[in-house]
Amino acid sequence: MSVPTPAIQLENLTYAYGRAEAVRDLNLTVKPGRCYGLFGRNGAGKTTTMKCLLNLLRPQRGKARVFGMDPNNDEVAVKRRLAYVPDQVAFYPWMSVRETLDYLASFRQQWNTKTETELLERFRLDPTKKTSALSKGQKTQVALIAAVCPETDLLVLDEPTSGLDPIVRREFIETVIGAYQEGNPGQRTILVSTHLIAEFEGLIDEFTILDGGRAVLTLEADAARERFQKIRARFTEPAPDLDFADALHVHRSGRELDLVVSAGGMQAVETLQQHRPESLSAESLSLEEIFVNVLQP
Amino acid sequence: MVIQLNFRSGKPVYLQVVDQIKAAAASGALQPGEVLPCIRPLAEDLRVNRNTIAKAYAELESLGVIETVPGKGCFLKEPQSLLRKEIRRKMLIEEIDQAIVQAHHLQVPGDEFLKLVRERMTALEDKRRSYEKKEGLTT
Repeated sequence: MSVPTPAIQLENLTYAYGRAEAVRDLNLTVKPGRCYGLFGRNGAGKTTTMKCLLNLLRPQRGKARVFGMDPNNDEVAVKRRLAYVPDQVAFYPWMSVRETLDYLASFRQQWNTKTETELLERFRLDPTKKTSALSKGQKTQVALIAAVCPETDLLVLDEPTSGLDPIVRREFIETVIGAYQEGNPGQRTILVSTHLIAEFEGLIDEFTILDGGRAVLTLEADAARERFQKIRARFTEPAPDLDFADALHVHRSGRELDLVVSAGGMQAVETLQQHRPESLSAESLSLEEIFVNVLQP
Repeated sequence: MVIQLNFRSGKPVYLQVVDQIKAAAASGALQPGEVLPCIRPLAEDLRVNRNTIAKAYAELESLGVIETVPGKGCFLKEPQSLLRKEIRRKMLIEEIDQAIVQAHHLQVPGDEFLKLVRERMTALEDKRRSYEKKEGLTT
């Protein structure tokens, strides 16, 4: 079987604003059909990376490919195959929701009106309302509808849930992603950047943690949860002073020993077992905890 | 049937779905011929990627637990394994070995382990019977 062309491929991507490097030697591959997360703090280089895919910025070094194409040389072909929701959405304030969607649809080769109707109903958006009268959450909903309806092969979402209240966030991101993926199961690719990682726990297949423009960690979500573990042991006597090779953190306090490992959880548990703990437990870290632990060694 | 995911178990999410549907089938919570939730609503309900549910259903189908009827959905099949007996035994042995290793590490002695196995089998049987009663299948 031949390897399908990656939806996104970055090789040593480097971009600097003046002398400040925002992204440095970033390598990343997103396979078709995946939901890929770019995690990072503010200023980690997430938005810059996305802008290089859209030809809004041209990398100074390295290359970016979307479905094997160069966003600079094949701008139209690339943009035909992707939809983008920026971190700040803006519409013409004098247009209604209906007019806005029609206007955006006019740039597209196809537009799924069934999905549009379904999502407008689910979000209880009034199509006659002027976009200037929408709340921030509603504006994001309109932008997401506009990104899903053209049924592109790639959806690029830059911080889609930031600045929204938790109730709105909770319900709509999976609705949008569900509607998008349903159209061509297994083939539609999503690249989403966020620092609100808990929202995306179950949606992400694979992720890269960015810090200071560099990739710190790239893993599949399931593999990450299997590897990163929090182990807690309590002894009848003061906790032994042990050395753990893959420990990110070791915290001894009286009879208790807490550690976070990035691999080798089983071995650590076995080592602890030999010291006859009174109690011993291990659980996986959530993606958000992995993020925090990786960035705060 | 209620599926509950635990992102802290370290077990791949799709496998959690597979195992819970298998457990529901074994306990009778899910009956042969019964329809399973559709992929998209289940994915939204569990707040997971659609692909994860699709992968779980594909796995269940390849195991012969469910079948997909195009345009109608996924249904639980009568329990019948397509695999030869010795292969089925081998699969079970692997699982048993894992549980034995786990018992060793948790310092559960062999006789207590066997007692637990019997207890769990009885519990599952009881659950099955209660579902059968509900379904009005027992006379």
